[in-house]
Amino acid sequence: MRFLLLNHIQNARDSLRSNRSRSMLTMFGVTIGVASITTILALSAGAAQIVQQQIDGLGGNVAVIRPGEKPASAFDQLTQLPVQQGYTASTLTNNDLRSIERIDGVSAIAPLMVLSGAVSGDSDAPKSTPIVATTPNLEQVNDLQVRDGQFLDPSLLGSTAVIGPQLSVDVFGTEASIGKTIAVKGKEFTIIGVLKRSNAPINFNGVDFDNAVIIDTKSLGSISQESPQIQQINVRVDTVANLNSVIVETNKALLRNHFGQADFTVLSGDEIAQPTGQIFAAIAGVTAAIAAISLLVGGIGIMNIMLVSVAERKREIGIRKAVGASNGDIVAQFLIEALALSIGGGVAGYLLGYFVAFGISIFLTFDPQFNFAIAGVALGVSIAIGTLFGLYPAIRAARKDPINALRQYE
Amino acid sequence: MTIIGTMATNNPPVIVLKDLRKRFGIGDAEHYALDGVDVRIDKGEFIAIMGPSGCGKTTLLNVLGLLDSDIEGTYKLDGIDVSTLGSIKRARIRSRQIGFIFQSFNLIPRLNVLENVALPLTYKGIPRLKRLKAASAMLGNFHLAEREYYMPHQLSGGQTQRVAIARALVNDPSIILADEPTGNLDSRSSHIIMEELSDLHQRGNTIIMVTHNPRLTTYASRVITMLDGKIDTDTDAKKPKKDTTKKRPLGKKSKTTKKRRAKKEKK
Repeated sequence: MRFLLLNHIQNARDSLRSNRSRSMLTMFGVTIGVASITTILALSAGAAQIVQQQIDGLGGNVAVIRPGEKPASAFDQLTQLPVQQGYTASTLTNNDLRSIERIDGVSAIAPLMVLSGAVSGDSDAPKSTPIVATTPNLEQVNDLQVRDGQFLDPSLLGSTAVIGPQLSVDVFGTEASIGKTIAVKGKEFTIIGVLKRSNAPINFNGVDFDNAVIIDTKSLGSISQESPQIQQINVRVDTVANLNSVIVETNKALLRNHFGQADFTVLSGDEIAQPTGQIFAAIAGVTAAIAAISLLVGGIGIMNIMLVSVAERKREIGIRKAVGASNGDIVAQFLIEALALSIGGGVAGYLLGYFVAFGISIFLTFDPQFNFAIAGVALGVSIAIGTLFGLYPAIRAARKDPINALRQYE
Repeated sequence: MTIIGTMATNNPPVIVLKDLRKRFGIGDAEHYALDGVDVRIDKGEFIAIMGPSGCGKTTLLNVLGLLDSDIEGTYKLDGIDVSTLGSIKRARIRSRQIGFIFQSFNLIPRLNVLENVALPLTYKGIPRLKRLKAASAMLGNFHLAEREYYMPHQLSGGQTQRVAIARALVNDPSIILADEPTGNLDSRSSHIIMEELSDLHQRGNTIIMVTHNPRLTTYASRVITMLDGKIDTDTDAKKPKKDTTKKRPLGKKSKTTKKRRAKKEKK
């Protein structure tokens, strides 16, 4: 079998060079498409990575209990109105907390109740400041690092609070705010600790601790009209080996408490990150679909230029056939030319995509991710586009009648 | 129609055509560009095909060159009936056995002279260096060694046609098909080209040439005239004298040639 691949590649290079600007512009169409896909994939992989890293950092022995049934898919999460999610009364109760605490293998447990309300110190805090009511165990369960002072302590008298470093800066103008008082929903709390900056606004707690004020559930009564809503219970298990048995026991205990209604979800390991990851994947998917449109346009550009090229080189095709090229040779020649355009554009797009991704990540809290999957997708997409849109012009070229193509005075 | 006027040689036939027809158009517009052509062409012949425009000369050449396969009747090339060949096999035969020379040269303008000549070898699967060497050697035969890296548009018409002939010969074909090879050239260049073709003939190549120019038939060993898709006359030209010193300058004809030509034109 004749092996003409190298020859076709040389040919493609020569012919693309002879129409340099036209080739560049055509490639640019693909470049934009591939660049947008690369950007999206790199950023969403980065975002998904963050949640994953946090769970990995917790040592894999954390389970999370959330109210409500497990969402069937990320799509459901997307389509569910946030209002609905936020205003549904939580099905988790203090009774559940006590039941879980009693299970063998549970080393610590912490509920998370997130409220919203006015927070102010020397100046007013941003409106969206989360107020987290929890127990002192949260420090251990979530492995929170305190920068100054200490975390909540049951032995301390009075109303105490721990605040995030960014909130401290926002409200007091400094990260050193220990001993100052902060007003939460009108009630004053003494700051006993400032958390270490975590720079993790996306995490499995759904709370950015850098901006949060953390208070004890005991002091909650005075500000929440005695209706605490437990949004999440974090459970730390003594060893990873016990995790599964704890999850089973937790399910049993809660089902008992809820009279057989499975209106809660126990998650562990990857599952915790999954909803967040899935949302990112879904967002990435939707954006990728939009990017696919630009790829389609790029592909049509390739087809267009290849058709022009075939028409222009009718005579060349005729000559090549006359000197012994088979239809397959002609198809291969033009297909490889189209592939050279799309792969060239794809490689440029991959690089441009990372430039853009790093540019965007300046404004985000996570970095774009490098992995082979993204490179593979970029290359695969380019090859697919080149083949898809190059095949028709190539077949048309091969079908050209050499007699017509060689007719004189044309 | 019977096979007429073959050269009395012992050479095996390269081409045998029996009742060859080529139809264009459908229904009312239907007409036969080739309307029952019977010819036997032996190895080593130099055939000039003459005839008025539209008599089917070029169509015949395209059929012979396997560029046109939509035919009726039989065409045997080297004993093989071409209607049994698929497009890949036909391409292979074009690549190995047939060399084309065109009136409008048909070099690829993007490739330089050397690459143009090497082109047929590409489709034979010969590696680049080897085929460029072969092309270079072939160009040397045509005294174009110094023009190897010229682009086609930098050459004169005569040089371009010589490059085209070099290309037609580079894969060592058994048949050379020339469609008015001197049609675009002045008489001096024509003379040189015809000398080249005549030389090729001397070396044993089979050449089939379509031409409008009656003078060029003096180089041929056999002249076929066509009319309305049929073979009108098929005559063995007297064997051209190979003594080049005896050649008449172009444009001057002997009395007998003149008479013969006048007769022909009356027909």
